[in-house]
Amino acid sequence: MHELSLAQSVLEIALEYAEKNNAARVDRLVLSFGRMSCIQPDALETAFEAMARGTRAEGAVLSFEITPVVISCLTCQKEYDIDYQGILSCPSCGDPSVLLVGGTEDLKLIEMEVEQKE
Amino acid sequence: MAVKLVTIKEDILKDNKEMSALLKARFNKSKTLVVNLMSSPGAGKTSTILNTIEALGPAVKTAVIEGDITSTVDADKMDAKGIPVVQINTGGACHIDSAMVAEAVADFDTEGIDLVVVENVGNLVCPAEFEVGEDVRVMILSVPEGHDKPQKYPLMFIETQACILNKIDLLPHTDFDMEAFRKTVMSLNPKTTIFPVSMKTGEGLDAWAAWLKDKVDKKKNG
Ligand SMILES: Nc1nc2c(ncn2[C@@H]2O[C@H](COP(=O)(O)OP(=O)(O)OP(=O)(O)O)[C@@H](O)[C@H]2O)c(=O)[nH]1
Ligand SMILES: [Mg+2]
Ligand SMILES: [Zn+2]
Ligand SMILES: [Zn+2]
Repeated sequence: MHELSLAQSVLEIALEYAEKNNAARVDRLVLSFGRMSCIQPDALETAFEAMARGTRAEGAVLSFEITPVVISCLTCQKEYDIDYQGILSCPSCGDPSVLLVGGTEDLKLIEMEVEQKE
Repeated sequence: MAVKLVTIKEDILKDNKEMSALLKARFNKSKTLVVNLMSSPGAGKTSTILNTIEALGPAVKTAVIEGDITSTVDADKMDAKGIPVVQINTGGACHIDSAMVAEAVADFDTEGIDLVVVENVGNLVCPAEFEVGEDVRVMILSVPEGHDKPQKYPLMFIETQACILNKIDLLPHTDFDMEAFRKTVMSLNPKTTIFPVSMKTGEGLDAWAAWLKDKVDKKKNG
């Protein structure tokens, strides 16, 4: 949907760091977001590819670290990574009184691989 | 050439968050409560705004920011009722962001305005990820959309402080399962409040309006 503007921001940040690090090329970008965020990696890749043309990040590969949905069970007093299927409940004891503690993280640019100028 | 790994750890939405913080500071100065109202197309955002303003009465000075994609239909409805309204030109975007709001309110004096309601673009997916300088985020789901929507679009239910369930006058004609709906919503977001309403008959409107009025008063006096 709005992957165009996200791709634009990713590119801007990547190029800013490329400049700071004296990089000739950007080879790979590592992005992360929570499983429950509404981000479509394919659409983001396509938009990025088009926008990066003619820049130092042209042809850079995007990889995604998708962080899991994590709940904290009040009964077990423990945290679990879960496979969200519509209802949040504890995978161990089944109790529905759980708190969502992970999985909605916003899109972040974590790191990138660059080739430095001689 | 030497390959190097560069650590970045930057939030892609940081520009929007910074702009949102600036907007918040501005609205805090005039003690204006800002509500970001989100839903799918046609769930009842405009109807809710019109009815809520009427329920709150003239004591609460309200203005509306309209984020229609292309038309001014909703803004015209506000205008016809004498409600101050600012239209945002979203240029076909699927959500409103803080820069759009900042531009829209640049020449708008919020001094003396108690409440600003932002009618977001009709979309249940991405508006939840973009702050617009709001104090409160409210979503509307309408009965014909079905009780399984929270499962399909969990983020919107997680990121809001109230969920208005509109068009309950249509309940007898649908297989909407209220218990299942409540259960899913509360499991996603135990702190939210669900307001079953009909903007057609006015049922449930008072409870919702009272909840909002309380927030307006707290902002004004706090
Ligand atoms: N039966 C019934 N119809 C309703 C109710 N609330 C709104 N409607 C109707 O639903 C339609 C859409 O309502 P709007 O208030 O324009 O919805 P909206 O969310 O602002 O729509 P967009 O701005 O186009 O996304 C209109 O025809 C309303 O008359 C309700 O409680 N019951
Ligand atoms: Mg509308
Ligand atoms: Zn448990
Ligand atoms: Zn969007």
